[in-house]
Amino acid sequence: MRLNRLTAMESHHINVTPLIDVVMCLIVFFLLVGHIARQAAVRGVRVPVALHGKTMLDKSGQLIINVVPQASDVPGVAGRPRIEIWSQTVTFADLPALLTAYARRNPGLKLVLRADRSIPYRYIAPVLAACAQAGIGSVHFMTRRPS
Amino acid sequence: MPLHHGRRNKLVPMAAHVGPNMAPMVDVTLVILIFFMLGSSLASKTWFLTNHTPAIKGGLTNTPPTHREPPLRLRINLQQRGTHTVALVGSFQTEDLVGQLAHWLVKKKRLFRKLHVQVLLLPDKNVPWQPVITVYSDCIRAGYKHVAFGYPR
Repeated sequence: MRLNRLTAMESHHINVTPLIDVVMCLIVFFLLVGHIARQAAVRGVRVPVALHGKTMLDKSGQLIINVVPQASDVPGVAGRPRIEIWSQTVTFADLPALLTAYARRNPGLKLVLRADRSIPYRYIAPVLAACAQAGIGSVHFMTRRPS
Repeated sequence: MPLHHGRRNKLVPMAAHVGPNMAPMVDVTLVILIFFMLGSSLASKTWFLTNHTPAIKGGLTNTPPTHREPPLRLRINLQQRGTHTVALVGSFQTEDLVGQLAHWLVKKKRLFRKLHVQVLLLPDKNVPWQPVITVYSDCIRAGYKHVAFGYPR
């Protein structure tokens, strides 16, 4: 009878299974989010400052067009910027067709233009024109709050 | 013997509850996770200016959207002069895009009242993106709902 009582007392250890579950979920979550964020936002882009703007809480269906400045051979003169979408470099000529395909596949597409503040307007206008050609009615300009 | 059986039956269910209960900790962890997810999105320094660009086949256009009354057109030209950007609206011109131009736009908006006005931003090809966004932000702050971008010549 004593032996039977001791056997029942053996399960006194802490149940860490839920903790491990949660930690694993967190690791997977941060890995995925970090990977997606790194793909969507390219480094080297300083977005312009704006006194007015709105936060975007619902980030589903976003397509970020990064317009990254490039150095040129001539000192003091900005080179032709690079357009990146999901870490893929896209040429200005291919942009309208690509955006049209995106817009057809995703009807609720939210297009975000993440352009560097120093880029001349002659390189921004073709991107806006490509959006218009693709039938995308709204473009969200990514800006920064004044510090 | 019946007494022994009775004791054993009472001990067995008590043994199952020994040890810390992890369920509240898991609950709190999840709440903290959600809190930080929402907090980080709200505390973000980035925000967005939305533009409802008129979408037609030929790209950006000067053609205003269809309305019952023909809209008034306010053309804001932006020119780059050295390191400064100058805004020209008719006879009015200024380098102070945040102060003077914003004030002028608010004053004009009050004059227009309920009239539908379309603002057309016409930056030169060398104007950087920052002043364009500053003027666009001024227009939105002043209450202009239809702001279009022109293609540089």
